[in-house]
Amino acid sequence: MSNIAGKAYAMNVITPIPWYKAWLNWLIFKAALLVPNVLNGLLTLSLIHYARWVIIPKGKFPHLDSSQPKEELKYSYMLFFSNFNGSWDQYVDSFTFAIPSGLDLFWKMNVRYPKSVPLTPFHNYIQHNQIDTSHYYNAYPMAASNDVKSAKNVKKALIDFNAASSNKDPDEFLKDYNNLLNNLQHDFGEMSHTPIVSLAALAVKMRHAGAHEKSHNHLR
Amino acid sequence: MTQNLDLTDIQGNIVKAYGSFGFFKARYLFLRVDNGDKGRDFVARITSKVTSAERWSKSSAPSVTTNMAFTYSGLEALELPTASLIGFPEDFVMGMSKRKVILGDDGPSDPEHWDKIWQEESVHIWISINGKSIEDVEERYQWVSKQIDATGGVSLLKGHRGEDAFGNPSDDLPYQDASILYDENGMPSSKEHFGYTDGIGDPVFEGQTNNEKRVIGRGKLTSEGEWVPLATGEFILGHLDEAMEYPHTAPRPDLLSNNATYMVYRKLHQNVGTFNKFLDEQSKVFPGGKELLAAKFSGRWRDNGAPLVHTPDEASKADWDKKFAAADVPTQKKMLTDFTYNEDIEGAKCPVSAHIRRINPRGSLEYGVKGAFNTPGALVDRRRILRRGLPYGKAKDQTSDDGNHGIIFMVLNADINRQFEFVQQQWINYANDFKLGNDKDVLLGNHSAKCPGKVVFEVEPGSGKPPHFVKNIPRLVETRGGDYFFIPSITALKMIAGGIIDPT
Amino acid sequence: MRFMDTLNIFLKPNSSGNATALTTLCPIMNRVVDGESSVDITRERCLRLPIHEESPLAKVPNTYLARLFILDNVFYESLPGGDSVFNFSEITSIFSDKARLGALPQKDQLKSKYLVFSSNFHGDLDAYLRGMWDKWSYDDNGQQRDVRYIWENCVAFDGVTDSSSFISYMKRCQLNSALFFNGSTDDSLQEQLKALYLKQEFSKFAAANQGKSAADLQEAYKAFIDQVQPSNLSGPSWVPGQCEP
Repeated sequence: MSNIAGKAYAMNVITPIPWYKAWLNWLIFKAALLVPNVLNGLLTLSLIHYARWVIIPKGKFPHLDSSQPKEELKYSYMLFFSNFNGSWDQYVDSFTFAIPSGLDLFWKMNVRYPKSVPLTPFHNYIQHNQIDTSHYYNAYPMAASNDVKSAKNVKKALIDFNAASSNKDPDEFLKDYNNLLNNLQHDFGEMSHTPIVSLAALAVKMRHAGAHEKSHNHLR
Repeated sequence: MTQNLDLTDIQGNIVKAYGSFGFFKARYLFLRVDNGDKGRDFVARITSKVTSAERWSKSSAPSVTTNMAFTYSGLEALELPTASLIGFPEDFVMGMSKRKVILGDDGPSDPEHWDKIWQEESVHIWISINGKSIEDVEERYQWVSKQIDATGGVSLLKGHRGEDAFGNPSDDLPYQDASILYDENGMPSSKEHFGYTDGIGDPVFEGQTNNEKRVIGRGKLTSEGEWVPLATGEFILGHLDEAMEYPHTAPRPDLLSNNATYMVYRKLHQNVGTFNKFLDEQSKVFPGGKELLAAKFSGRWRDNGAPLVHTPDEASKADWDKKFAAADVPTQKKMLTDFTYNEDIEGAKCPVSAHIRRINPRGSLEYGVKGAFNTPGALVDRRRILRRGLPYGKAKDQTSDDGNHGIIFMVLNADINRQFEFVQQQWINYANDFKLGNDKDVLLGNHSAKCPGKVVFEVEPGSGKPPHFVKNIPRLVETRGGDYFFIPSITALKMIAGGIIDPT
Repeated sequence: MRFMDTLNIFLKPNSSGNATALTTLCPIMNRVVDGESSVDITRERCLRLPIHEESPLAKVPNTYLARLFILDNVFYESLPGGDSVFNFSEITSIFSDKARLGALPQKDQLKSKYLVFSSNFHGDLDAYLRGMWDKWSYDDNGQQRDVRYIWENCVAFDGVTDSSSFISYMKRCQLNSALFFNGSTDDSLQEQLKALYLKQEFSKFAAANQGKSAADLQEAYKAFIDQVQPSNLSGPSWVPGQCEP
């Protein structure tokens, strides 16, 4: 079990929401996408690859067959899935301090949501409703969300430069090359292993052996 | 600044950086408690001389100070009740050597290479003596030794590397001495062994000072662009922190944790020869010359600590120096700390990777998107640390790493994991928050021959100039030992000594 | 914001550009065979999946990040909270204990346990699910496992026999996103991996060739481009799940 795959942390949270507030929350989510600046803080924070909120209205849990009992629930449920860089314990402060009103906006309708400030009740609320991931896969364990975006930038700039300048006279080439480096000066960070945030015995042991989170199966 | 602190209850080293009060010499002692009863008797005796944070007038300032702190195993050995012990946080319980993967203490910094004293798990008590002269320190040390002999329940632990009284190298010294460095004329300086001016810009918290000028550049940045002191609870337990909560790293009962804090003690050896060689080599390919390059590593010029943001080149530095020389002391202090990176988001003046910009990004993590966060310092205010410490040893041969010289680096914070460890792991040895991937701090990063460090020094965007790459950065600083300590209030010291801590 | 973008927020709730979110909750059979429940078996199989390059998801085209876990139940909200500015029950509770108890959060229980699969990927859902059916494989102590091995204990999965029945099965278990936040890019995975490879290699190149004369630099640059082939997605690149530089 691990909520960690390289530089990404998988977060799953399920929280109850009264059915009559669920639709209102749904509208808030849609509005967040429509109204500029609502997601500004989250974008600037730049710790998230992808995240989503899913609302399961009362009685809408998937029901496939008559052999499966039908759910009889009193609440609707909200699921939150996030893929972010750093661990929850480590970065809860960053999320809470950077975008408290954003967090409140998305969870405020949920049963017993305590508001994002003060921090400990919020931290506890999320943790109380958090489900650990059994298998987590990340296509680029060495890349943070920042790196993926930066890489896109580098690729485009390099291809454009190559088309425009690779065959110029050396002096012109150098001038354009220096311009290219100038434009990309924030995109040269090295990508390597994630800092170790879990002191679970196996993770530490593998780090010491120099085998960084090798892909073997350790459940016996 | 409405917070009133119980200065007579708080240990003096929390609120004061003794070095800036003329205490140029320090001696750190580490002891083992062999017997609970006798150990508590010893604690009682030392407590009688423990220096509080009470404000000093010229006439009331002592010539020597004494402070005391404990490791987790020390508190166990002093027989604190389990109900109190289980309230301590995981980081403190584990101790520094077991946190090595978080701290990046690998290779030459691995605990297996630390001074002998750290090889066994028996460091229980830390005592610091800071004096205006070595004689003052020696006298207080003799007094402490007498208490050790008189009580018989504690042992002074040997095993520090350094030079003995006759200048001979030893790996078994009974204490760690530290001292400010002196310039070529024998005058006291605030330099460390790499030649940087140290001890500028420590955070300021509520209740620490009534002088608003001292808060500029050292407190937290508000949305209005003003500087206000940080919440006391970021540095002292039992007080509200930046989350408007009492720090949850506090063990029970309140009287044990109120006015206490956590201290990180780290002995950092400085590879002076490697540093000088590296700086010389790199400055051959750096267009701005050797001193500017050294300044780009740290974010401040080595000679007087001038912040690069205001002195990005020789000309602006010369102007700044002139003003600095003519200014009175409060104005000088302001000149050293009154800046943000808002005018330099790109890092053309002070590189994004510079040491002081990493450990205190001053609102720059909004990346110029004004109002993106609740406050500009949203990602910074929970990561501030108070730094205390002094250099140790002498770098006699500037071309060699050998010998014992470096810095006794001490950090005070309410939550080691959230503050010190976060800064060390995420901002010194990693840089995703700065969008720089795994690039490490030039000066403090755990670079290795296998993965040599690299950083980029940005230039003016659109200038057509390429940024400057500094590559093959060697390990410049190595950890030689240390641990995590709890610095109780004077009330709690008395209660520990009396065996009357009771969380029931 | 353009009209179509606005419309798509409602019409395509699981898309952000070409990035797609898939959330499925597949009920697991309530069955015990030889002392092992279907849930235990499914959970253990998920836990045993090899990670990084060896994860079966590394073989499923265009998977950015994906996860599996089991939703055993929902949680009772025993923590105190401040979910309203004012609760009518705060007044009524003074007079009646029944009102006080009635104001407590209600207890909910799930009747089934669900295998939750949550994936973020590039492109169209049908193509992605077909990729799962066709490409999902890993070595389990010498035995090759396909996608059925994880899902076969789910309710009505015995009706899944080919890619099209797998696609329709997963769609029956699918839930829509209320908000899909894309903090990254929506390029194809190949495109992303190639870009990461180029970023890493070009950083090394730029550092290594600093200060060279124009002619020398240009020569080195051309050799570099020949080697990295920036536009060739099937040329040198990172592999999905690569965890060593």
